[in-house]
Amino acid sequence: MSVWSEEVQERARAIVARYPEKRSAIMPLLYLAMSVNGYLTDEGMEEVARWVDLTPAQVLSVASFYSMYKRERTGKYLVSCCTSISCMLAGGDDVLAAMEDESGVPDGETDEEGLLTVEHVECIGSCGGAVAVQVNYELIEGVTPEKGRALVRWLKEARPEVVNTDEMQTLFGSRTSFDWAVKEEGGAVGPYPAFQPLGTVRGGDE
Amino acid sequence: MTTEREMVDTVTITVDGVEHQVPAGELLIKAAQDKGTYIPRFCWHERMAPVGMCRMCLVEIETPRGPALVPACTTPVNDGMVVDTKGATVAKAQEAVLEYLLINHPLDCPVCDKGGECPLQDQAMSHGPGESRFVEFKRTFEKPISISELVLLDRERCILCARCTRFSEEVSGDPLIEFIDRGNHVQVNTFPDEPFRSYFSGNTVQICPVGALTAKPYRFRARPWDLEKVESSSLFDTAHPRIEIHTSHDVVLRFTGVDNDATNHGWLSDKARFGFQYISSDDRVLVPLVRQDGEHVEAEWNEALQHAADRLGMIKDESGGEALAVLGGAQGTNEDAYALSRFARQVLGTNNVDARMDDALASHFLAATVDRARINDLDTADTIVLWGPDLKEEHPTLYLRARRAAQDLGVELVVVHPRANGLDDRAGHKITYRPGGGFALLEAFGRGDHPEFDAAVNGKKVVALVGMTDLADGPKLPEAVAAYLRSKAASCKILPLNSRGNTYGALDMGLAPDLLPGRVALDSESAGRLAGHWGQIPARPGRDTRGILEAVVAGEIRGLVLVGADPVRDVPDSALVAEAFEAAEFVVSIDTFVHDSNRSADVILPAATLSEKDGTVTNVEGRVQRVNQIRRPPGQTRTDWAILEDLSALIGSPMGLTSAETITKEIAEVAPVYAGVSWDLLEWDHRDGVVLPIEGPAPLTHIPVMLEGHGAPQAEFTLHAARVMYDDGVRLRHSPALRKLAPGAIACINPADAPKLGAREGARVRLVTRQGEGEFDVVLDEGTPSGVVYVPLNQRGGVSLGTDPVVRVTVVT
Repeated sequence: MSVWSEEVQERARAIVARYPEKRSAIMPLLYLAMSVNGYLTDEGMEEVARWVDLTPAQVLSVASFYSMYKRERTGKYLVSCCTSISCMLAGGDDVLAAMEDESGVPDGETDEEGLLTVEHVECIGSCGGAVAVQVNYELIEGVTPEKGRALVRWLKEARPEVVNTDEMQTLFGSRTSFDWAVKEEGGAVGPYPAFQPLGTVRGGDE
Repeated sequence: MTTEREMVDTVTITVDGVEHQVPAGELLIKAAQDKGTYIPRFCWHERMAPVGMCRMCLVEIETPRGPALVPACTTPVNDGMVVDTKGATVAKAQEAVLEYLLINHPLDCPVCDKGGECPLQDQAMSHGPGESRFVEFKRTFEKPISISELVLLDRERCILCARCTRFSEEVSGDPLIEFIDRGNHVQVNTFPDEPFRSYFSGNTVQICPVGALTAKPYRFRARPWDLEKVESSSLFDTAHPRIEIHTSHDVVLRFTGVDNDATNHGWLSDKARFGFQYISSDDRVLVPLVRQDGEHVEAEWNEALQHAADRLGMIKDESGGEALAVLGGAQGTNEDAYALSRFARQVLGTNNVDARMDDALASHFLAATVDRARINDLDTADTIVLWGPDLKEEHPTLYLRARRAAQDLGVELVVVHPRANGLDDRAGHKITYRPGGGFALLEAFGRGDHPEFDAAVNGKKVVALVGMTDLADGPKLPEAVAAYLRSKAASCKILPLNSRGNTYGALDMGLAPDLLPGRVALDSESAGRLAGHWGQIPARPGRDTRGILEAVVAGEIRGLVLVGADPVRDVPDSALVAEAFEAAEFVVSIDTFVHDSNRSADVILPAATLSEKDGTVTNVEGRVQRVNQIRRPPGQTRTDWAILEDLSALIGSPMGLTSAETITKEIAEVAPVYAGVSWDLLEWDHRDGVVLPIEGPAPLTHIPVMLEGHGAPQAEFTLHAARVMYDDGVRLRHSPALRKLAPGAIACINPADAPKLGAREGARVRLVTRQGEGEFDVVLDEGTPSGVVYVPLNQRGGVSLGTDPVVRVTVVT
């Protein structure tokens, strides 16, 4: 008795089939559960537990260890600003403060409308392009406080259905850590990573 | 006792300057401990895999690159290893670890249950720095939270050693508690609204090295240094796990598990751990009761005994010993059972005795099967075949041991059962069949319809755990299964299962119509041999429980002696029991409580129970162990044997029993397989008990026979009625902590069957069989196959549906 639609179950079956051990599928399935409800509900974790033959407590143990599994509803746009060492030295705290100020949303919280969540994150692996910011895990490098404000205004006004890293890099980024070369056509549709097997990629040639 | 496993290579290590020979590959912490050097630890536990989480066991070893600190719990010994466990470097490391562990620990020892027996407290004193450099606020949590009906959790005390979470995953197989969150916020907790509902939850309280997990029945009841303690054996589990009984002011406050390598490995089911409250229940019968004008009135011992002796003697004089019968004796010690067996034969002159309640295997098979397995044989088998009760419900120690064998020791496990079984997740093969269809399935095995079963069994070293899966297949099936496995396996050891207390001890004492003490078949020759001790006794086998009840109804048996027996609840055919108790002319009950079976008994004689008497008991593998007294029997209660001795004297045939220990001596003389058993032996040489016979072969060896059975029942619904851990049995009913855990009168059906019946979760259904009927609450349960109705036996209300598996289901609301 699944609480998921047939389409989601089909995705879950495909994900479980990728691994020799069922329980290895727990992490992608947690993202799948997030993509169903917008965040990770108790019901979603119980469903994942059934798919991987673990207890809900074991699933919660994994889910609560990783900060990218959101167990509370976030905004449509999850704006994450890195404040770890490289970004901090390059002004990450100022970028975060500017985005908090522009959006009126304090670090770690969500606006009343449910549009924006602003948070600080630990290193997201873009030290060469500090300060790094993500919107729904789509990366922008070389963000300044002013660009951060512009990013927030853009999200509030344009409200794009899909956020795409290349587009945002052009609009709000500057220095990049290396030449990304490959153009990312698709983008993310919600506050979880864009990943083909989860059905969370839209746009581009898909 | 040297076993094959112990004969292994050794290596030489030097611990604190002293050379030792230790088994190769053993963990340093264990090797050192066995040689007398205790290395402090929190997370490491002898019966679980090492994790190296707490770092308390850091020791210094010499390496090619110089001395290095390593955790002793994850470091195997090597030949020539030089270890320092007490030097300045090690002491400094241990101080640092403790200083860190205490950063957030509240030090509320004066109000903590663990204070006084707390590894953290003890090791902070012995290895700690004495002072802390941390001045910050400690982390706090809501306290305490209830993680189950039995266990409370004070999260701020937790040092995150993961003993409890590892136990629930590795040992008991129900990981309902886990580390939640991360970093400074890590805590042990359950999933929201999914409590730690484990049959083994109490073990986490015992192994918690701090006071984070506490047991509700014990919390704030005593300080450890005020407790008196004695070792004993639990009768809530037929493996008789070793326990320690703790009392304060003569009141039993808790049981703890004691590690017996042959049986429980230190673990206890919650029933064995918390099933002590009945001992101090206000409802205990404390004075003799005699029925006058339909009411029980209190009586003096001499009046009550005289009354019972007069009536029993009168019936014997008028109608002979065959007009008397004895039921019960499976809940006491071997000494009590021996006294009862002798009382029946010598004093009453009857072989109408039975400790089984018409729900058990044949007495000779249970007591004296050929190639009886030991519990430790589970570890070394190729294949374990479980075709019997759900071990998790009825034989918790065997459940843990079989689980370990299949999970950690590479033993193949085959489970044959009508519904979901606690060991399914560790079973290589699971074969499900309709209740009542066991013989048909066995025939299918014989035809080779189940090649995977054949592959696991044929030509292999098999341990067969056989017993009644439910009431439908009857007692012949398990014996047929054993015979079948014997014919296929290269070698087959057998454990015939029965779940009642000290049944095996009772049968060994002759509490069956066709047995005499010491696994001796009753015949004129064996009866004659007993004459020197017991005088002339009847040589013809008597009636079993069913036969006794039928004879009472027919008027052939007039008087009944019940000893710790509640046949009204335990015998499946409740209509027969009710009729028998209506018809019985005179009933004497020796018991701890008034219950359904002795509510209208003519005389109730108040009995002492576990913790109030000394003696021996015999477990499922034939292991005899000691039980010990720590508490004065309350009120005017007395031991069974002493009551029976007085009755025997008043009836005019005194047995001359003078103490439990002299009875043990008499048993060793009279009962062949008990030759050599003495309290000295069990207290000094074999504290963990000894499997019988110690010397010589057993006089009776029963070879399982391939009995014929009935075909599979044809019906829309068949009934699977089985015992569960928590029921409405007399002792659990008077143990408040466990009483509320019973599932109640429920009927489990597969969700797919619900629409067919028009039933939903919580609906009320009426179940009707040939032998009984009653109303039950529906529980939708994936573990019950479609077409099966699963009913836990002996729940509140005590409705019995009998043994016929054909059941009609109608929805009431």
